[in-house]
Amino acid sequence: MLRVKAGDLDRMGLLFERHYRALYGFLFHMTYQREASEDMVQTVFYKMLRYRNSFTGDGEFVAWMYQIARNVIKDNVKKNKPGNTYYDAGEIADRLPGGTSADEGFEKKQANAGLHRAMAKLSDDNREILTLSRFQELKYQEIGQILGISEGAVKVRAFRAMQELKDIYAKMER
Amino acid sequence: MKMNCGQYEEKFSAWVNNELGPSERAEFEKHLAGCEGCMQEFTAMQQVWDLMGEMETPQPSANVQVKFNAMLETFKESEAEKKGTSLKEQLARLWQWQPRWPLAYSLVIVLISFTCGYFAFRTGSGGKQDEQMKALSAQVHELKQTMMLALLENPSASERIRGVSYTSEIKHADKEVIDALFATLNNDPNVNVRLSTLDALTHLASHPEVRQGLIQSIVQQDSPLMQSAIADVMLKLQEKRSVNSFKQLLKQKNLNPGVKDKIRQTITQLI
Ligand SMILES: [Zn+2]
Repeated sequence: MLRVKAGDLDRMGLLFERHYRALYGFLFHMTYQREASEDMVQTVFYKMLRYRNSFTGDGEFVAWMYQIARNVIKDNVKKNKPGNTYYDAGEIADRLPGGTSADEGFEKKQANAGLHRAMAKLSDDNREILTLSRFQELKYQEIGQILGISEGAVKVRAFRAMQELKDIYAKMER
Repeated sequence: MKMNCGQYEEKFSAWVNNELGPSERAEFEKHLAGCEGCMQEFTAMQQVWDLMGEMETPQPSANVQVKFNAMLETFKESEAEKKGTSLKEQLARLWQWQPRWPLAYSLVIVLISFTCGYFAFRTGSGGKQDEQMKALSAQVHELKQTMMLALLENPSASERIRGVSYTSEIKHADKEVIDALFATLNNDPNVNVRLSTLDALTHLASHPEVRQGLIQSIVQQDSPLMQSAIADVMLKLQEKRSVNSFKQLLKQKNLNPGVKDKIRQTITQLI
């Protein structure tokens, strides 16, 4: 990224290649909107180009990218009317390409959809911290950088979020 | 829960990720064995954690990449514009005459459609009308093709992209069009133009000569973006004959490491 900042804009192409899938995953889990998430990927990268001079180089590029992504999500939520924003997460999961063999595939898909629904019921903060730690597989120290809190605080919040998710999921299964 | 259970909460994630050292792990599990509350809580959480690892997320479509490249290109152009004045003048000059082409194009189409309607209205019934209609639509078709070929020669990258996009309107791409597209795919200096061309050619993949041309183009691409885009296309088309070209590409010395991985993956998925 420092090379992009120095004027080598083509480097951004490589950064895009490397990170856009993960970024899309994050945006999708936070909004459950497929197409809007694709547009937001674009917006995040546009902002990074536009504001490349504000990248200090302390800390990771990835943390900076997610910080910008969080702001883009906030802007996007403001633009959308409430109630219009979320699709049913389970429904989306149902439509995902599932397992190949019939029985195993079906069972796996059910669990998949159930968990997507449970995730959707979490508060945004809790879903965010679990998405970053579990799906994006970021370290707690990196998540702390993104959220602007200490590593210890991330640990505590991630644990509480996991607890809540487990309770919601258990209730749904019953 | 007992009084000292709190300290194990902190270690939960390290435990579930297998990141505890052997002695810490033993201590953690010893506590679980002796504390029914934690045992229940943590094993249930571990199960959900594992399930999350198997969850699927939709993948972004190929559009994202194409749009990003177009955005980057536009951004670079506008940055360049901010800089040198000579370049600015150049761009300004281009700007003066560029929009006329598409305008002329639209005007002629409108004119022809109008004439079409007029004839249809006037001649009424009879086979003659059909013939005229056919002749006119052939003219429109030819015009589009001429238009497209002219745009591909335009000095501005965005105009060339526009030219490439006209191919989707041409019903039967003939040899001239296909040749022009391949010339662009293999020689155009702008990577976005090449990417759009690749996209257009992918839509024409029912033509055997297009497939053949795409396979030959693999070793001619030197940008990592193009190399990985063409790998995606070959995978989409399930084109096994491309494997040899990819193997050849792998032999190139300065191949981007990310691309190298991708090509290897593509090869294994194709065979
Ligand atoms: Zn305990």
